[in-house]
Amino acid sequence: MFKALTEPFQHPFPEIELRKGGGGRKPKAKAKNVSGTVGRIWTYLARRKAKLILVLFMVVLSSGLALLGPYMIGKAVDDYLQSSRAHFGLFLAGLGLVYVLYSVTSWLQNIWMIEISQETVYRMRMDLFTHLHQLPIPFFGKRQQGEIMSRLTNDMENVSSTLNSSAIQIFSSILTLVGTLGVMLYLSPLLTLLTFLVVPLMILGMRWITRRTGPLYKQRQNNLGELNGYIEETLSGQRIIKAFSQEPRVIRGFKERNEAIRRSGFWAQTISGFIPKLMNSLNNLSFAIVAGVGGILAIRGAVTIGIIIVFVEYARQFTRPLNDLANQWNTLLSAIAGAERVFEVMDEEVEVKDEEVEVKDEGASVKLDHVEGAVSFSHVAFSYEENGDTLSDISFEAKPGEMIALVGPTGAGKTTLIQLLSRFYDPSDGLITVDGRDITTIQRQSLRSHMAFVLQDSFLFQGTIRENIRFGRLDATDEEVEEASKLANAHAFIMRLGGGYDRVLETGGNGISQGQKQLLAIARAILASPSILVLDEATSSIDTITEIKIQEGLQRLMQGRTSFVIAHRLNTIRQADKILVLKDGRLIEQGPHEKLLAAGGFYSKLYHGQLRNEEM
Amino acid sequence: MGMVLSFLRKYRAASITALLMMLVELSVELMQPYLISKIIDNGIRVKDLSVVWLWGGVLLGSSVIAFIAGISSSFFASHASQSFAFDLRDKLYDKVQSFTYSVFSRFESSSLITRLTGDVTQLQDMIFMSLRFATRVPLVVFGSILMALIVDVKLGLLLVLTIPFLIVFVVWMMKIATSNFGRVQRRLDKVNEVIQENLTGIRLIRVFVRVGHEIERFAKFSLALMKETVRSLRLMESTVPYILLLVNCAIIAVLWFGRIDIAAGDATVGQVVAVANYSLRIIGALSALSWILMNYSRAIASAGRIQEVMNTEDHAEDPLPDSVNAAGKSSELVEPIRGQVEFRNVGFRYPGSDITVLDGINFKVEAGQRVAILGATGSGKSSLIQLIPRLHEPTQGEIHIDGVDTRDISHSRLRASIGYVPQEVMLFTGSIRDNIAWGQENASYRQIETAARQAQIHETIDQLPEGYDTKLGQRGVNLSGGQKQRLSIARALVRQPSILILDDSTSALDVATEAALLEELRDLSCTTFLITQKISSTRSADLILLLDEGRLAASGKHEDLMQTSLLYRQIFESQYGEGSQHVQSLN
Repeated sequence: MFKALTEPFQHPFPEIELRKGGGGRKPKAKAKNVSGTVGRIWTYLARRKAKLILVLFMVVLSSGLALLGPYMIGKAVDDYLQSSRAHFGLFLAGLGLVYVLYSVTSWLQNIWMIEISQETVYRMRMDLFTHLHQLPIPFFGKRQQGEIMSRLTNDMENVSSTLNSSAIQIFSSILTLVGTLGVMLYLSPLLTLLTFLVVPLMILGMRWITRRTGPLYKQRQNNLGELNGYIEETLSGQRIIKAFSQEPRVIRGFKERNEAIRRSGFWAQTISGFIPKLMNSLNNLSFAIVAGVGGILAIRGAVTIGIIIVFVEYARQFTRPLNDLANQWNTLLSAIAGAERVFEVMDEEVEVKDEEVEVKDEGASVKLDHVEGAVSFSHVAFSYEENGDTLSDISFEAKPGEMIALVGPTGAGKTTLIQLLSRFYDPSDGLITVDGRDITTIQRQSLRSHMAFVLQDSFLFQGTIRENIRFGRLDATDEEVEEASKLANAHAFIMRLGGGYDRVLETGGNGISQGQKQLLAIARAILASPSILVLDEATSSIDTITEIKIQEGLQRLMQGRTSFVIAHRLNTIRQADKILVLKDGRLIEQGPHEKLLAAGGFYSKLYHGQLRNEEM
Repeated sequence: MGMVLSFLRKYRAASITALLMMLVELSVELMQPYLISKIIDNGIRVKDLSVVWLWGGVLLGSSVIAFIAGISSSFFASHASQSFAFDLRDKLYDKVQSFTYSVFSRFESSSLITRLTGDVTQLQDMIFMSLRFATRVPLVVFGSILMALIVDVKLGLLLVLTIPFLIVFVVWMMKIATSNFGRVQRRLDKVNEVIQENLTGIRLIRVFVRVGHEIERFAKFSLALMKETVRSLRLMESTVPYILLLVNCAIIAVLWFGRIDIAAGDATVGQVVAVANYSLRIIGALSALSWILMNYSRAIASAGRIQEVMNTEDHAEDPLPDSVNAAGKSSELVEPIRGQVEFRNVGFRYPGSDITVLDGINFKVEAGQRVAILGATGSGKSSLIQLIPRLHEPTQGEIHIDGVDTRDISHSRLRASIGYVPQEVMLFTGSIRDNIAWGQENASYRQIETAARQAQIHETIDQLPEGYDTKLGQRGVNLSGGQKQRLSIARALVRQPSILILDDSTSALDVATEAALLEELRDLSCTTFLITQKISSTRSADLILLLDEGRLAASGKHEDLMQTSLLYRQIFESQYGEGSQHVQSLN
């Protein structure tokens, strides 16, 4: 029992916070951050100005009515209870009217505000999502998926629930505060002064608290994001975890992160929990002061009993909005921290926005209606990191309709070359052109719409097989989808599945094999009917018999299209119009199969070494 | 809800203390109107200054007590709710980890993530709120009415009249709100699912220029979420003004009858004022009602979702080994698994599926032998090898290892002796060393390096600027497909398994590297299952299993199959005919 009572006081205070709290950090910098975040939320809210003004009007009305109520009760005590003035019924009817109006106005303001706030959340969500799709691909490589996920979901939800409940309270608190102050001053300046004796105490207390809670909440939110990332990773790697019996280990890892949340969460909650208690106590204090001093003044005849009653209630009303706010301080703080994290993503620099380029350099950012498919690289260089070239001095040309095979050891830069062509990255040096045009002047969207990809990792969405194939071209008819599947040799296996084309696939395509996924991905590319086709080890996990059949389909597809093929198999490579041999990020040989073989270079060594290997 | 709340039992003392502290605070507040009435009636009206001083002093002192109680309640409530959340999350994650793979696959991972984070937080907030704030509301209402009755029975009864209305209203609202927020939650799940999908498939969406399409899809779900949220919140917010009106009417009645009583000499001004003051307090408390109810109904929905996971029955997996003493201490044979594997008439279909994946599979391999599994896409190769570490259980027949039915071998013992390399590479955040050592936590540097050498990845790692300490991004973004495959092979090898399963794990390797790898594996003398597409790797196998649509089309050595199986010959032809070779590298 004793332990249970001391335990709550023994949570270690998070280390990072101690440093921040004691390090003489200027509170202004933090406040600026918060107000900046709030300001940005405001710009969203402001889009519904007309309605917001209506809400504000209702808030003004209801705050006024809320002031009028207690005032009238005080009046009733002084004028009717202590004397027998006539028309008491009429007076009470007036009071009743005030109450009815109060209910109506607060009802309206709430209902309208819900609409505004939810619309705001909707817009923020959409903006965030849209922005996410404009971020460069490396952004996603650098971060854990679960961490980004947490910003889009947890943080967004936080903002949502807080806007619903707290937004109005902020308005009405301020109004009620001002209104109460006015009436109080009018009734008795002396009692008002006494009531406000507690304000400096309040400000001091609040400052002490918020200085700590701000960073604590941010810390908690970070811990939560970390935990999220961990869960995401361990859940998607569940098969491996099971097969390796590593459950105890991931559970241990989870515990550590869970513990971190408990720690920052405990202190964030405890300290921010002081706020309503502080308010309450100060409330009680001012109540005691008003009652005591008011009583003395009343005996001296300086104030009436009615005024004391009004004051007591006003003192309460004056702190109640703050109290309500304080009660939601937890949510409010974590929502602001959440919004900050949301905006952090929104502030990430986008993959140079196509439209912006257009504005900057008229005519430079082109949309291509038609692409012949001529591709040329001249002295292209690129590196992922600052140091060390991944690709250097790559020069070659592909005529429309040609098939280009990329050959080389693993890690030679084949995939990178393709990523440059599709503008996932831009070269650090040199020039890439399509139909003679520098591709950095072509809109990414437009460029990619003329290309189709079958990537090493195919990805399937949750939805029917039909929808997944139609992803290649959204306006394709059912017949076209089926036609493409037949070309890709996917039709047969699709028909064998229960439900056929309407079979619903799980996210990531659980339930069908990797090879089948590739077939669907190929069907998807066929349906897209591109001018430039990229097959990045597309057939690596398809068995040979199926591959031979697919080759026919791909052959038909490649007819008249420029295609880039990264593949292992010689029979694919031999058909290529041009073979690019890459080694350590350099293009060491290029030309058709026979020519390269005759030259007796690396390729021919590969080829012969290959045969020797096979014969072993 | 009840089951979830039982997690709070451990923190009963802290919870009760928090509630008691709140009660102290509350009684101080509830005394105030009563004391005011004393000041009015016994002090002001009879002009007795000492009475005012006395009660004013009591008010002052009590507010100090309330302050101390309030601050310490913050500690207790926070401790109870945070520890509750910690335990709940912990147990929930344990539970998820204890699922068999088949049961695990039933849940979507995005929804499991929400349950583990968002839902738990929701409950935690609810408990914190309850311990400090929410329980105040009913207590203030009843306490105020009680005090009003003490001050003046007749006037107090006016307040009692409002109670049945209040209760009916609140119960009705709770009911509707719970189902409403359940709906909101489902819509939210849908939105989150789209986000998750988009994050995973971001590259594909970009290359296919489907950003617009995805944004439209997202907008559709977000809009539905918004509408549902607005609808249920509106209902919530509509109720409070009515409740307030109800209590306000009671105040008017108190004033009306109070005046009559004063005139008749049955009541004093102070008493009427006190009762009116109590009514105002009720109103003050009730104004937070909708907010509280909203949180409660959300918490109930969250509790339901957590319970769904907790209540998922799953008998197949043995209980999680104590983290202290993972494997080995079981009562069964402690001798290591040698690696003889036998399938006896094994059939399999995925739970809830109508497709027969495997049917009548029979074969036997001795310890240390190499099995190559060959077959068309979807012929059941991956499913077959996943049965060996019991990721799934066969729906028919038996699998024996070292002559023992696998169902009689504990998961931990069985899996401890298996090295599994899945088809889709899954690397974890952390360094390369961490990722290899992931297979064997207390592996020494030497063991890690040996495994990397065997997997033909040591040289590549060595050339990286930070070597084995190179950090991998999510899913190993900065490595090529082949490098990732070799890394996950190293991860399996570091376990020194007696059974090694390679599920097409060499597809992205060039032939020379692959050959070197297979040569290396030969020295390890572990039973190796190798799913492959390449005849080059089947030739060295002791047993080749040729699968066709879930059945064993042929089995035997390369030479046998060349003679007996037409299908095998066709595959051979396609790979060894003119110009069908693989070209990659020499190194």
